Amino acid sequence: MATEVMEVGDYMRDPRKHHFSPYMDNGGTTVAIAGDDFVMVASDLRLSRGFNIFSREQSKIFGLTPKTMLASTGCWADVLTLNKVLQARLTMYSHEHHDVMSTTAVAQLLSTMLYWRRFFPYYVSNILVGLDEEGKGVVYHYDPVGHMEKLTYSAAGASVSQIQPLLDNQIDALNMKNVTPPKMTKELAHQLIHDAFISAAERDINTGDGVIIHTITKEGTSEEKIKLRRD
Amino acid sequence: MDSLEDIHTGFQFSNFARNETLVAKGFPMPKSRKTGTTIAGVVFKDGVVLGADTRATEGDIIADKNCSKIHYLQPNMYCCGAGTAADLVMTTQLMASQLELHRLNTGRQVPVVAANRMLKQMLFRYQGYIGAALVLGGVDKHGSHIYSIHPHGSTDRLPYTTMGSGSLAAMSVFEVHWKPDLELEEAKQLVRDAIAGGIFNDLGSGSNVDLCIITKDGATMLRPYDVANVKGQRQGKYIYKTGTTDILSTSVRPIQIVSETVRKVGEEEMETA
Amino acid sequence: MALEALHGITRYHSKNEMLRDEMMIPDMENLSNQCQLAIPSIPKGEVNVGEYLVDETGRKIKLNYAHGTTTLGFKFDGGVIMAVDSRATSGQYIGSGNVKKIIEINPYLLGTMAGGAADCTYWERVLAKQCRIYELRNRERISVAAASKLLANMVYQYKGYGLSMGVMIAGWDKKGPGLYYVDNDGNRMPGNAFSVGSGSIYAYGVLDSGYSKDLSDAEAQELGRRAIYHATHRDAYSGGIVRVYHIKEDGWIKISEEDCKDLHYKYADEKSAFS
Repeated sequence: MATEVMEVGDYMRDPRKHHFSPYMDNGGTTVAIAGDDFVMVASDLRLSRGFNIFSREQSKIFGLTPKTMLASTGCWADVLTLNKVLQARLTMYSHEHHDVMSTTAVAQLLSTMLYWRRFFPYYVSNILVGLDEEGKGVVYHYDPVGHMEKLTYSAAGASVSQIQPLLDNQIDALNMKNVTPPKMTKELAHQLIHDAFISAAERDINTGDGVIIHTITKEGTSEEKIKLRRD
Repeated sequence: MDSLEDIHTGFQFSNFARNETLVAKGFPMPKSRKTGTTIAGVVFKDGVVLGADTRATEGDIIADKNCSKIHYLQPNMYCCGAGTAADLVMTTQLMASQLELHRLNTGRQVPVVAANRMLKQMLFRYQGYIGAALVLGGVDKHGSHIYSIHPHGSTDRLPYTTMGSGSLAAMSVFEVHWKPDLELEEAKQLVRDAIAGGIFNDLGSGSNVDLCIITKDGATMLRPYDVANVKGQRQGKYIYKTGTTDILSTSVRPIQIVSETVRKVGEEEMETA
Repeated sequence: MALEALHGITRYHSKNEMLRDEMMIPDMENLSNQCQLAIPSIPKGEVNVGEYLVDETGRKIKLNYAHGTTTLGFKFDGGVIMAVDSRATSGQYIGSGNVKKIIEINPYLLGTMAGGAADCTYWERVLAKQCRIYELRNRERISVAAASKLLANMVYQYKGYGLSMGVMIAGWDKKGPGLYYVDNDGNRMPGNAFSVGSGSIYAYGVLDSGYSKDLSDAEAQELGRRAIYHATHRDAYSGGIVRVYHIKEDGWIKISEEDCKDLHYKYADEKSAFS
């Protein structure tokens, strides 16, 4: 006969502090590069928690309109919620205006949505990409509470401190003598994204498994997957 | 300088109180390098096979892609380590020399139990503050032995065991495929698969599989035994032209030759006088 | 209405309502009333949210907002000078080196940005809207005093919740040049010279030693530029581009945007030529 467990009332136990921890870091890295007539956005495919891998094929890029995409990393629950709410707002807008929202308008909407939760933020690093009214590629980078910056390239997420310096060096040619910044082409953007991710996968445990690259042009979008190391 | 000369061996605690105060004031201790590891060992028909991955991490960053986690203790005894890298290296080096002294004193091969006991007594004395989790393996006149040793000093003698952050992934492989009296090739494959389980499914483990095979005839290190992952190939060339770095100031100092001596380099006869 | 009912068409408003219910979309009141933010159902304040930034394994979760700055503004006979750096830091990481920390509220009003970048941009954007509404209602431009008070009152509503901003509102109105300091505690004060941010102590040193009412325009602009440059030199959290704006009777003009590295060597050359 097993020993009988005494039922103990709550009042008899020592006081316990219940810790509320709504946030979780699920890793993931995103990179975006814009050109004159295109924009490329990429994310790795690893979703993790601590030392565990949740998924090896989870893209962190969401299509919003035919010419805008959102790349989000951070707390995956917040990523999904934010994306769901944003998608719904876009649907409401298209019903009301019989037109899709412009990239610049989506950019401002996202900022306002993030700031709405200023005192209990979405734990998400966002990069919004798209084509503007003239068909030029644009990249918007956000902090978790909605500070927005318009750029031509950006990295976010786990490996940002590995990849952003590489892009600063190769695209803007910062702090170098006798070097002119290159003209951004699809080939160069693809090469930089590819090399940035394979290097990040070498040194960051939260980046790996694979990369998905989306390209947006006025003709439409295309995607490509690249393998990364899986350890 | 006196205090420096007083110290002969072991740890130095004179900064302990200061460091505790600093932590309390918000200066965190510097991060130590950990081997968030997968290590494993099995007993097979003629001896033991030890295995380890080769990743060392500092937080989320991979600090070493090919570090060695199988440490020498005696010609018939090796030890895999998981935990704080510095603790592992120093503990195994200390044990190697202690065991060698023991061998010289007794004039016979040291049994694996002795190494196990010495390790556990040392770790227990330091109450877990030496962050070393070990898989000890060796062959002696009593047979083949695998011990797992926990940082607080408890030990188990087992036919197969795993340790480190990837221990569950590796153990699941052992639990399915291990059987008594494995052949050498079977044992090697089994340990490889167990370590690969850790490499792929545990983010703290990665890169290559190292093996160490110990039989009554001695030990063989296979490093690497298997490269589990291929490194991606860069598409671009990242070479900088000379003159890319801005020169702020230049100063040239000539080297003055005071005297010249030519010495023959190569094997010289050992002095036996 | 009847025709719609006859054809079985529901109006888009009700369609939206249905959609919202189906997907459980939270109302975001700040889309209609910008002053209304979500109040978490947990104890108030960012300090508390900070406590939750640990995952269940006890690992720290990094939630860094853009921070760190040097900004300055001063009044003189020729108007108001505003000068800022452009670095945004999240902890030790430089999030951006190209931030526009002078916010152009309208052609006569400027705001600076120090503290939380999102806080400053959001509330100064709301302020810009309020100022425009004031113009439409009253058929005249808002005074600097009134504009700064609008901002101070808005952020005062959230006192203690963890907003972080130290801003200057400057402009030209009927009373001439105006300069106010407003922060998240609800402080609001007029003054002749302010500097805000982690590098402000260095900027004040230069500003106070070179300041007088009767500076020429060029001298005043150079004083602002130098004060920010010296702050970027000594404060690790400030750097990048030094931007200088000048507010005169007919509105603000952008004077210069120079890399602090170029300024460093320019000043070094001037110094060596002088000695």
